[in-house]
Order: sequence, then C-alpha cells, then structure tokens
Amino acid sequence: MSFALNARLAARRPPLPTATAIDPVTASIIRGALETVCHEATTHLGRAASSPIINQSNERNAAIVDAHGRLAMGSIGTPHLTFVSQLTVRYGLMQQQDYDWGPGDVFVGNDPDYGGGHLPDYNVYAPVYDAAGELVLVQALQAHQGDTGGKDPGGFTLDATDIFTEGLAIPCLKLVHRGEKRRDAIHLLERNNRFPSFAGDLAAMIGAVEKATVSIRAILDKWGADMVRAAVNHAIDQSERQMRATVSAWRDGRYDATVHIDHDTMGTKDIRVQVGCTVAGDQLTVDLSGTDDRQDLVGVWNTFANSRGYIMTQIAASIDPDIVKNEGLFNAVEIILPEGCIAHPAPNRPAALGSFHPACEITEAVCVALSQVAPDRSAPQVYKIGMPNAVIGFDATGQMWMDQGVDCRSMDVSAVQGIDGWGSCPVSLGNLLLSQAEDGEARFPVINISRELVTDSGGAGQWRGMPGSRNVKRILEPAMAMAWMVSHDHPISGLAGGADGTPYLNHFQVGTPDEYRVELTARAQLPAGAVIAYQHGGGAGFGPALRRDPQAVCEDVLDELVSIAAARDLYGVVLTGSLEDYSLAVDPAATAALRGERIAA
Amino acid sequence: MSYRVGIDIGGTFTDFALLKDGLKDGQVILHKNLSTPQDRSIGVMEGLETLAGKEGLSLGAFLARCEAIVHGTTVADNILIEMDGAVTGLITTQGFRDEMEYRRGYKESIWDVRLEPPIPIVPRRRRLTVPERVLADGSVHEALDEAAVREACTRLRKQGVESVAVGLIFAHVNGDHEDRVAQIVAEEMPGIPVSLGHRILSRAPEYDRISTTVVNAYVAPRVNAYLERLVSRLAEAGYARQLMVMQASGGVMTRAYIEAAPIRLLASGPAGGVIASARTGGAKGYRNLLCVDMGGTSYDMSVVRDGAAPAEAGWNMHHRYLVGVPMVQVETLGAGGGSICHVDKGELKVGPASAGAAPGPICYGRGGLRPTVTDALLMLGILSTGEGFAGGSFRLRDEGVAEAFAALGAELGYDAQQAAFDCWRLVNANMTQAVRRTTAAKGMDPADMVMLAYGGNGPAFAAIQAQELGIGQVLVPRASPTFSALGTLVAHPAIDEERSCSARADALDLDRLRGLWVDLAANAAAHFAEAGFAADAAQARWRVAMRYAGQNWALTFDLHEGRGLDDLGFVDDTLSARAIAAFNARHLAEYGHVRDGEVPEITGVRLTAQVETPMPPAGGGFTAPVVEPAPHGYRRANLGDGFADVAIHKGPDLIPGARITGPAIIEEIFTTIAVYPGWQARVDDVGDYLLVRQS
Repeated sequence: MSFALNARLAARRPPLPTATAIDPVTASIIRGALETVCHEATTHLGRAASSPIINQSNERNAAIVDAHGRLAMGSIGTPHLTFVSQLTVRYGLMQQQDYDWGPGDVFVGNDPDYGGGHLPDYNVYAPVYDAAGELVLVQALQAHQGDTGGKDPGGFTLDATDIFTEGLAIPCLKLVHRGEKRRDAIHLLERNNRFPSFAGDLAAMIGAVEKATVSIRAILDKWGADMVRAAVNHAIDQSERQMRATVSAWRDGRYDATVHIDHDTMGTKDIRVQVGCTVAGDQLTVDLSGTDDRQDLVGVWNTFANSRGYIMTQIAASIDPDIVKNEGLFNAVEIILPEGCIAHPAPNRPAALGSFHPACEITEAVCVALSQVAPDRSAPQVYKIGMPNAVIGFDATGQMWMDQGVDCRSMDVSAVQGIDGWGSCPVSLGNLLLSQAEDGEARFPVINISRELVTDSGGAGQWRGMPGSRNVKRILEPAMAMAWMVSHDHPISGLAGGADGTPYLNHFQVGTPDEYRVELTARAQLPAGAVIAYQHGGGAGFGPALRRDPQAVCEDVLDELVSIAAARDLYGVVLTGSLEDYSLAVDPAATAALRGERIAA
Repeated sequence: MSYRVGIDIGGTFTDFALLKDGLKDGQVILHKNLSTPQDRSIGVMEGLETLAGKEGLSLGAFLARCEAIVHGTTVADNILIEMDGAVTGLITTQGFRDEMEYRRGYKESIWDVRLEPPIPIVPRRRRLTVPERVLADGSVHEALDEAAVREACTRLRKQGVESVAVGLIFAHVNGDHEDRVAQIVAEEMPGIPVSLGHRILSRAPEYDRISTTVVNAYVAPRVNAYLERLVSRLAEAGYARQLMVMQASGGVMTRAYIEAAPIRLLASGPAGGVIASARTGGAKGYRNLLCVDMGGTSYDMSVVRDGAAPAEAGWNMHHRYLVGVPMVQVETLGAGGGSICHVDKGELKVGPASAGAAPGPICYGRGGLRPTVTDALLMLGILSTGEGFAGGSFRLRDEGVAEAFAALGAELGYDAQQAAFDCWRLVNANMTQAVRRTTAAKGMDPADMVMLAYGGNGPAFAAIQAQELGIGQVLVPRASPTFSALGTLVAHPAIDEERSCSARADALDLDRLRGLWVDLAANAAAHFAEAGFAADAAQARWRVAMRYAGQNWALTFDLHEGRGLDDLGFVDDTLSARAIAAFNARHLAEYGHVRDGEVPEITGVRLTAQVETPMPPAGGGFTAPVVEPAPHGYRRANLGDGFADVAIHKGPDLIPGARITGPAIIEEIFTTIAVYPGWQARVDDVGDYLLVRQS
C-alpha cells in the first residue's frame, strides 16, 4: 500500500517460461478457447445474478491473467473493467505463499490501494494449475456491486475523505479453500452489504469462476500446459507488435490536451487533467504530468489501476478493432502517472467517484491528444455524467430500495470522422444494457415521465454529436436523491473543429415553487410526488459545422434533432418549406451565400 | 391416396418433401428446383407441378388430394436483409419517443468506434407520441388523448406511412389504450395495417416489445401479400385446404393466424431443420442433440433438449433489431464451404466473407479465384474431382486451387498443403468455439450430447469437431441435405403465446392465473378450429416463467401437460408449492445454486399447444447383421494425421448393418462424410449413419 507497491504492480512481467514452439494457428485456436471460457463465465453470471447492475446493465467482465499477472485474455465486459482486472490479481499473486494458494481456491479483492479500481468492483478470481502443480492461469471475474457497506448506500459518498468512509476494502481474501466454501469469510462479506441480493450475486460470481476453471483445466489437459503457455506468450507478443506497428504509422511528435472537471464534490473549481502523448517511432508514451495534485480536493481521486485502464480504453478505441486486447498493449505503451496527482493518489484516498471523474476526463484528454494522429478513430469513450441520480428509500418492511438511475438515455455520443453520433453511448459501453421504465416501475415507487432527446443538444459539426436526453422522473414515496453535477461548465470536447457537446443540467422539485438546479451536489430528502429532471449532455461534433452536408442538416431538422434556427445559425443552412408539412428543402443559393458570409467573418 | 407436401424456400433452391398417406417404411419423395426471387410463389407452383407429374396426376388433381401444404420461407428475413419493408410509423407514449434509437444502449461491437448505426425502420419524424399512461399495476394514470392520436395519424399520413406500429408503456398489462388507438387509426388511415404491442409480444420491458412490434409492422404488408398471392395461386390450381406456414417457434400454423403477427415467420427458415433433427434423433433414442448445419455460407447451431427444440423468447437480435417472439434458438457463424481463406495482418483467417454460389469456390470452375473451405477440402483429398458433386450436377476441378493455397502459404511462410490444412484446422476451431458459446449460453455441456450434422458441408467436419467437444456419437441422416423441407412436415400445428403477470410465487392469485390461461386457451382453440382441428386434439403444455426477485432472466418450465385445452384442474392450492419446487430444481440445474430462504416470483404464464399430424417415417436401431463392405476405391487424403491412402465408399451402396472404420470417406449424393481416424461409421436399420468414437 504505497507508491512503491503500485510501481511493482505495474512493472512489466516476463513471458511465461516454456521451450515449446507454437505455430500461429494453434496459438489462435487456444486463444479462442480461452476467450470462450470468458464468454461462458460472463454469460453464466449475467443470467444468475440478482442485481440489475449485473443482470440488466451487464456491468461485469471476465478476464484470464497468466501466472506472471499479465492480462492474457480480456473479454466480453467493458474495456473500462478489462484493463483494470490484472492488478488486483497481481497483488494476490504476490501473496501466494503467505495465503496458501492451491487448486480449488477462489479469492476476492477490491482494494484500490492494492491494485483495485474502486470498492464496488469486486474481482473474484481463481488459480488454475497444471498436472505438475504449477500455476498457469488465473480466471478473474469482475462485477460492480450495488453496495459496499460504507456510509452511503451504493458506495458513492460525496464527502468521503478516506477509503474507509466508502466501505469494506479487501486486498485479497480467500472465499473457497481447495473446493470448500469458507462460510466465515462469505458471511463477513454478506454482513457488510446492505442488499440481501448481494449473497446471490456473490454465489453467482463464485459459481461462474469455478465453472471457468474446470474449462481451463480441460484446455490444459488437451493441449498441455506448455503449449498453452506458448499460446499466451504468442498472443501478447503479437498484440504488442501490432500496437507498435500502429504507432509507427502515426506522425512523430508530442500531442497535448487539457480537459477540466467543473469542480470537485466540495466545489473547488476547474480541476485539471493534462495529458501529453508522445509518438517516437513505435513507442507511444502517455504522460499525465501537469495533472492537478492539490491534496485537499474531495471526490476526484482516480486509483492507479483505473487511470492505467482508462488510458488504455481510449488507446484501444484508436486502433484497429481486430487487435487482440491483452498485456501486449501495456507492453507497447509507456504510461507516466505522477505520484500524488488525482490520477495516482496516495494510499487511503476515497476512490468511488474517481471512476467517474477524473477517470473520464483522463480518457477524454487521451482522445483529444490522439485525434491529431488518429482522427478517423477518435471519439471519447466516456460517461461525462457526474453520477446517475440514485434514488433511495425504504419499503413498508423497512427494507431499503435503490433505483440506481441507470435509465435509458443518450449522453456523450460524439461524432467520429465520417459518422454522426448515434445510439445512447460510446461503443465501448455498448455491452451495458440500460434500465427500462417497466422494469424500474415494477420494483420501485417511481414513474418515468419522459426521457426523450432534446433538440439542438448534439454538438454541431461536419459530423454531428448525438443529442442528449432529458430524463424526468416522479418519486411516489419520500426518498433520498443523490447527485454530483459536472460537465456543465466543461462539456465534452469537440474534435477537429467540431463544437463541444452540451452542458449537463439537473433540476429537483421540478414544477414546484421549491424547484432548483443542482449545481454542485445533492443529498436531498424529497417528498412524495417530487419530480427530478436530468438533462444529459449531448455528444460533441467532429469537423467544422459549416462543412456539414446541407441535406443532412435538413434531415436533422425533419427529425427535430436540430431546429430551423440552429440550422441557420450553427450550420449556415437556409431551408425552405415547412416542418409541419414535411416539405423542408435546402435553399442552395441562400445557403452558399450564408456560409460564405460566415467563413469570411 | 392423399398427400402432404413440405416446401422450404432457400436463397438458391426451393426444396420439396412429399409424404404419401399409407406409405409404410417408404422414403419421403424429395425434389429441388431453382428459387424464383422475383416472385417466390412461381417456383413453388413449378415444383408442385413436377411432383404432380411424378405421381402421374395433373396439378389440379394432385392438389385436390393434398391434405396439407406446409411452407417455410425466408421472406421476412429477406426484407430485413434488404431493408425494403413498408414505410412504417410508430405511435408511442408521450415521453418515450426515442426508445428505438437508444436500443437500451446496445451496440454490436465494443471496440469499433466506426460502427455504423442500423438503418432506421422508424426515423424520428415517424415516431409520434400521444399523452396517455398506464402504470405497472394496469391502472390508468393518464387517459388517452384521442385528439392527439388523430393528429398523429394526420402526420403519418402526410409522410406516406404504409404500416403503423403502436407501442404504449405497460400495454402488456392493460391493452385498452392500444386497442383504442387501433380503432382511431382504422378511422383516420383506412386500409393501413396496425400492429399492437400487447398483441405482438405481451411482456415487459418496453424496448423489447416496441422493437418487436415495429419490426412486425415493417415486414407485415409484404409477408402478408406474398402469402396471399401463394394462397390464391394454390386455390386457383385446386388446393382446397388451409396453407400452413412454418413459424420461428418450430410449429406451423394457418396463414390466417400468421397474418396477425407475421413476425413469427422471422428466422423460421432454419427452424425446420432443427425440428427434423429432434424427430430423427428422438426416433433413435437420442434426446439431447447438438444440431449443426453447415451449408455454403453459414454454420447454424442449435440444441435439442429432452427431445424438443426449445423456443425461447428473449434478447433475440436479428438483423440489428430486437425481436422478442419465441424462436427456436439458432446461432449462426459465417463459416461454410464458400468461406474465403485469407491472411489478415499476418494471421490466417477463414470467413466471414463467402464466395457464395457465384463465383463460388475455385474448384467450382465458375471464375472463383480466392481459396475457400471447399477448396481446402479438395486439397486435403476429402473431396475429389473424380465424381459428380452436389447430386451429380457438376464436377469439381483442381485448376488454380494449389496455386491459390501456395500464394496463401507464401504469406505465412509455408507450403500450399500446410496452408490448406491450417484452413481446415481453423474453420474447425471457429465452429467448435461457436458451439461452446452456444451451449454455454444454455448452461449445457456438449459432451453430454449427440451431434446431428446436416447441410451439404456439415458431415465433412462433424466427427473431428465432435472429438474437440468431447462428443462420442454423431448422427448423419441420409436425408440431411434437404432437412428443412422435411422439417416442415415434421412440425406440428402449434400456438405458443404468453401473457404477463407479476406476483410472488407464495402469494399467487389463482383466479387471475386461471383467467390468463383460459384466454390463451380460447385463442388457441379458435385458431385450431379454423385450421380444422378440434380443441380436444390439442396437446397442451401449461407453463410459467419464474425468477428470483431482482433477476432479469426468468426460467420457463412446464407446470402441467395434458390433452385438450380446458384441463385447468392443476390450478389448485398446491400450485404455488409445486411451482417453487420446480423452479428451484431448474435453477440448481442451470446455475448450480439455489437461494435458500428466498421466494421466487412469477413473471408470466405461457401456453404451448400443438396438434399431432402425420409425420414422415423415422426409426433407428441396429438389428441388421453387421457387414464390413469393401471400399469402392482409395485416394490420398489427409484426415488430420497426414496424407495416407484412404478408403472411399459410395453411400447409396451401403446397407443397414454396414460398418466402416476410419480413416475412410463416404460419398453420399448431396454430401461427403469424413470418417476420421479413431471413428467408425455404422449404418442403422433405416439407413442413417451413426459415427461412433472408438478411442
């Protein structure tokens, strides 16, 4: 638990020892088999788990880490979890002797100061040994838990000053010893969680990991452990080579980007994230020097493992999607995270909200920087929402309920060169299914009044950002609502001359004399019948708006994504006809004239 | 003599299976002719005329003797592939205009920032909202604003809308508002078909239901027009009965039933093959089957469990749209005989691009220049240039094949033979992993199953894949190349519908449950009557969907099974305890644990009803005396262990009792069966092959 430990956790690991030569086809067959094991594990968990965030939102991830702690196989979850998974396991690997590791064991870890992301992300993992008793691989499975036993339900505490406020931190704890569940340890975890459904989620995670280890053992039996080691080495080498070849094709130079967070949870303004990406031959270096390191900031501390992971999430979006995501990417990229800055906090800092901010601003800044060398694959893989509006109350039996507010909506879907923003999220989040009104209202005393796209809320550009949604919800019983609002003063960044996205806005007690906008944070007791309304930020544009195809602007107006006024003012497009009659058409001469004026100005 | 005819229309061929009444132990008569994409009913009529001729009858006399014509078609799928369906509009609840755009956040690739959006069926300008709101308990929170509905109709009319979907929130609990909207649309937009959410898919959540309804509205006019055309051609030619149509759920139903929800046809194409598999396997005593169908461009996988092909209603993404009606689950991988082998960034890849039928593999000699899986099989000697291919319609040629693999090998640093062998290994591995993903999603272990291989290319790969998957037996029916047409004759008339209801399993309102089942039964009885079947001829499975509170995926299982549609005696005071016990047993089997002390909840009731109709003969057994036939000849082939002289057998010469020990190759009329080293092929009493692993 120190900067020194983080350096050891992140240090490059050597290949697995094997003298076996492997051909590329066998290597890809074994890689596919391991990928399938990860798929099986996540599928199993998604079906068996109880919490909406796992079984609906699919916020889970399976990965296979090798005996040296390298990411051997990432899988089906979200990149934001995939690239974080190996450091928790690495810490466990360092304790193999002390903690008496052996076949049939299952462990859990979530501690941000021991390689973890933030406390809600439980990483359950199990070692797999070969016939000679040598450790070969570790199956890891992460899932975001609905609670962590800290001060506030859900694990997000706005005024947390240390990790202990946020809940139970677990560096490495054995849950299953040689195939026997440790009832004492499992009971301890269940006791430290507000939700009864946690027991089912944990059982589902353990079950899924145990099932996966059986499959991995069958792969070891079939191919022999040495061949599997060779396949892992081959896959990691290949990804490193492909990553380096990609970087070689980029123009050498240093590309900087600065992105600000509106404020921390206490109101300190303009928190800075600074990224410098240096391309030198086949070496990419991402350096966060210059990032805010004021030690009195609250709520904006992103853990070491998360910062590395989110940087890699954006880099992975910027390269050929077919390059296999594994340790090879980390081997090809140097990441510099200055000690003590908000991207690499000292031990015991609170960590929960850091996975929102500055994690997303780090990702966004990497995107802005890399957009200068890889414009065709640049779109920020972020969620700029401060945090979702969680609504918490108690039912007649005293049982707590929580509507986490991960509702259907669109936010932060920026355009990429040649394609308008579309759908409800950036692609890397495309595995997370959003909550539906009919599921939520059947469980919680809320009514979803509206969640439609808002006209003109997509950033203008040659390719347009997707508009954001306005989600309006009525609470039928007294409840507490929590919020942290950012991305109002600093919405998502436009690229290549495209406009920024639009600001987030959040109003409580809508339609009453007590209506107010949440500008910083809220932890409000709302009366029955209260209405809350969340305007999500639209995505940013790519390229200058005046270059947008006028016909595309006309279509946008017909779809009420863009107003007639904005077509004229932002895009320089003059339309004739009427929206009411669907008779709109571009006036080419007037449009050319108006655009000419704008460019001259 | 009376007849039953099964017809399956594919991209290239229209397949026919003719079943004669009273024909004992006889073969089903098979026929194929080219499909007629401009109007598929033309190809159907041509084939029927040929069949009539074979029977020595005029078309009219033949059709007059047809008891049933059963039809499987990809017409709905083709609309979604070409995206040329009706101009569709959506009327939805105020506040929920953009669900089709959000797709619940789903995107098909998480790594490709250049992923394009799906082509919109209902662009935003044709998604209109009306004030109204029903709550979770079915109560009306806000009355329907009828003037707003009329206004929406006006706007849709201005946009030339040809088909209207109505998707209101919680309509599956209370469908009154949707019904009223339908009445108003009928007044305001006469003649325009309307699809209602609570009729098309009566369950939560809203995106699943609305998306399914929108896709239904999109395909409905063309599917119905096609069926109408076919029905009138058949009627004019002398067919007096109802046309029966294959559904994705694996049952067939009348054209009139399909007309109300033509979405049920989507993905019905592969369902026939799966149904035939269940029947063929079941007749031989194999109740858990892994069915693999490898054709020219795709590899379809499905599972038969306990003798049935379960139709699941869930997150079925088809052609980028969610379709939630029950479907026999068929997973597709872009791997077939025509899949192109290529090197991408230094790595060998097979597919998903396919050479298709034109130009086809190099060895078809029709101008194909890129090496395919079929070419690799030729290089390996599994196929040969010696005999007729695909039923003798043409011969394979080897010109250019070795050269193409040499070029491929040069990129990888080895020779042509190694390149072909690696293509074979890779396509094998891709298929094996796809199977594992499919079975994983169902919580099943392939090692517990028998593989059933069909399609032109399936039997060449089946045994080696089975070995990788730990499977010991592979069934290859002699009729496997035309399995889907056979399947339409195997499929029974069936209705499978569900109704939503939500309650703790220990606090069930039995009257409400009974009421929902009575509604489902009445609906089924009416449609069966229309098809000429009595309600008491129906076999009913009364089912529930249950889950633990908080779970998102329900497990559906039978509570009672019996003849007739009024046998509701099982709804009694013990129902709750029986349901909970059955659910816990299923949960333990699927997920390996049970939540002690938690009471599960019911999320819906379902009625699966079917009427038995005569089926093609099926059987099995190994009572014939064992013979070990001499090979027809030998050729150099590589069945995984390097080149050797491999025995070649002619399938049509093999009689029941024949045993052939691998390595060997059996050349059937429409397919080639590879008997790999360590395997033995046995011909059973009805002439089908069972491949058995010896070691």
